[in-house]
Amino acid sequence: MTSPDERKETYPDMSADDGTLVRCPNCGENAAPRARFCENCGTPLGATNGDPSVPSEVTLEGAPLVVDPDPASGESRAQRSCAACGGVIAPDGYCSDCGTPGQSERDHFEERPAGWVAGVCDRGVRHARNEDAMALAASSNFAALVVCDGVSSAPDSDIASLAASRAARDVLVAYGPEGTSPVEGATSRRIAGWTDAMVAASRAAGQAVRGVAEQLAATNGKDAADDPPSCTFVAAVVDDDLIVAGWVGDSRVYWLPDSGQAEQLSVDDSWAQEMIAAGVPRAQAETSPQAHAITRWLGPDAPDTDARCAATVPSEPGWLLVCSDGLWNYCSDAHEMSDLVRRFATSGDPQTASAALVRWANAQGGRDNITAALARVAPSVPEQR
Amino acid sequence: MAEFSAEVFQNEFLSDGATDVHAIVSVTCTGAGTADKGAAAGASPGTSGVAEIIAVDTSGSMQGRNMEAAKHAAAVAVEQIPDGTLFAIIGGSHVASRVFPYPNARVPMVAMEPGARNEAKRAISTMSASGGTAISTWLRLADDLFATVPVAQKHLILLTDGKNESEPSLHLDQMIVNVMGNFQCDARGVGDRWVVEELRKISTALLGTVDLIARPEDIAEDFAALVQKSMARGVAAVDLRVWAPQGSRVLFVKQVAPEVDDLTGRRTEVNPLTSAYPTGAWADETRDYHVAVRVASKPVGSEQLAARVQVAVGGEVAASGLVKAKWTDDSTLTARISPEVAHYTGQAELASAIQEGLAAKAAGDEATATVKLGRAVQLAAETGNEEATSRLRKIVEVENEEEGTVRLKRNTAKLDEMALDTASTKTTRVRRA
Repeated sequence: MTSPDERKETYPDMSADDGTLVRCPNCGENAAPRARFCENCGTPLGATNGDPSVPSEVTLEGAPLVVDPDPASGESRAQRSCAACGGVIAPDGYCSDCGTPGQSERDHFEERPAGWVAGVCDRGVRHARNEDAMALAASSNFAALVVCDGVSSAPDSDIASLAASRAARDVLVAYGPEGTSPVEGATSRRIAGWTDAMVAASRAAGQAVRGVAEQLAATNGKDAADDPPSCTFVAAVVDDDLIVAGWVGDSRVYWLPDSGQAEQLSVDDSWAQEMIAAGVPRAQAETSPQAHAITRWLGPDAPDTDARCAATVPSEPGWLLVCSDGLWNYCSDAHEMSDLVRRFATSGDPQTASAALVRWANAQGGRDNITAALARVAPSVPEQR
Repeated sequence: MAEFSAEVFQNEFLSDGATDVHAIVSVTCTGAGTADKGAAAGASPGTSGVAEIIAVDTSGSMQGRNMEAAKHAAAVAVEQIPDGTLFAIIGGSHVASRVFPYPNARVPMVAMEPGARNEAKRAISTMSASGGTAISTWLRLADDLFATVPVAQKHLILLTDGKNESEPSLHLDQMIVNVMGNFQCDARGVGDRWVVEELRKISTALLGTVDLIARPEDIAEDFAALVQKSMARGVAAVDLRVWAPQGSRVLFVKQVAPEVDDLTGRRTEVNPLTSAYPTGAWADETRDYHVAVRVASKPVGSEQLAARVQVAVGGEVAASGLVKAKWTDDSTLTARISPEVAHYTGQAELASAIQEGLAAKAAGDEATATVKLGRAVQLAAETGNEEATSRLRKIVEVENEEEGTVRLKRNTAKLDEMALDTASTKTTRVRRA
């Protein structure tokens, strides 16, 4: 078993995966690779580095508002294939073989920024819309995984959650090794640096949600202002030998080492968690009718949007899982989650495994939107790319 | 250019475990009259792309008033046939003969023009009644004549007053199968000695209607209407197509308005998932279809397309309606019954209750007849079919309309029974809010 340090030595070229720096066409500021918006002036950069699995933004009245994650290429998606049977989705929106409704890009999308990092975001079975969102970025020894879960009671939370997750990801990338203000130094210094970065990311995400809310209020009037969109926030950063998690709400980060103790790094900001803290058994608290009431969230009516953070320095390889409650509702306990992930991750491929987790949650009933993003944190990681 | 539209009425919500999806698809054609029939069919100049044949019963039983009325009606029909329409007149008994164009004419059918119209009327006036009745020979001659003309829209009006008694019924059945798809046929019976079931067999298979003309003097008016209706049909050979998903089964496809007509048995395969059902030619009109599909049940929350119902003209899809299934555990959603589906389900059951009741009555099974006709009275009341109600009241004494309790009347007129029978498939449209 090799340590994460050796991994870095073996593969020193960290920029190979993400290509060159992007320069803002408006103000000339250098932006982080994969950045969607200029950090300085907010101009949409629109660079997707040719990765078709990464949805692009569509601006609404000039603001960085994600409304429809069609591929930036503008290519026709006439030949969409059916998620259920693989058949062709007809122009009427249903599969021409089995009649299953075709999924929009927003209903089901996958990202795979590097061979060791991938995730799947899915509408599930019961909900009409996918209000979960996910934004991933990765190079050879750095990854940022962000998941936001839109609050279903508020309309347009799907737009808010996608804007939030991407804003947060872009902030985290800026703090990454190829970013404009990289977190550097010894482990303890970097933990402090990433804690700051997480707070900056959650604030940017919160700002993005407020931006969506303002635009909707401007477009739709009073109703939109009365019931503003909101979402949860959870992010995890893998910075070489360090994992840092940050969250607002009840979306989760699990660290699932191959042989050691599985743990949930995040601590839900939820009514259920408060009950657990007060001594109510976890199973009882999580199945109570109010279990899903969250005590913190992102949105115009949120009291604060600063992420709470936790860090760990893994001593052995394992899986880092960032997910929404659409998954963990069916498998909350960290040890059970570890068994589940291991069951689906036999190939070592995070994309196969995250897709399998989503399918599994759908098979359990798919009562909520489901997002599962995985990073394989292992000495052998770079060889898999 | 003719345009089609399709509208779907259904309750798409299914309870957990439910598999059967019902929908009423209302298909409307507009602009049929403007369709360029001649160009579409590649007909020769001076012809309209429509061919019309009138076959009149000239068996011995027609002798007298019926024959004179039929001749008058045929002449009136000839008046109604517009110039350019290819036409012919057939006289039918135990054999069929071409009355016009004259048997010695070189062409089997001629385009209507003033000279031909006068000559045809003269030919009609020479028809006389003798011999038996073998309707298969009439159909064969009509088919032979139609086969010589390259037009898309072919229509036969068939008039008889008697039973098909000069041949085994097997001959007629076989001939119907032979000519199916070649032309459309509206069949009319005059008087009370013909057999409704016999003519219904012909008109149903040949995508037409059957009706009773009680009084000979009404034949002319009816023929004129039939010719006008036929001429208004600007779109030939329209298919109803039903796509159903892999692993599903189409339970039935029925036309439910303006008349009940079960299309299920007329299925041809377009591809493994798509069936086509011929609906003949269309005028500006609306026809309603009841489509039922059995799909595999899916988990609550799932959605599934249960059928694509399409209108295909010349193999091209002209309109499409989507029949959906959504599984839910919300019983307030699943309990709703589509008023259209309920209405036409009742109307279809009404038609079969009437037919089965009359058949039982004819066979002397009064118990069955009483039950069936009672049910018919109940259904006619429930679905607001006043025409059926008034016709039923001529056959039965109604004791309680809501419960469907009736007594069979004694000494009912045969014509009343036949009128009830022929009209049984006519439906009332659902009242839409």
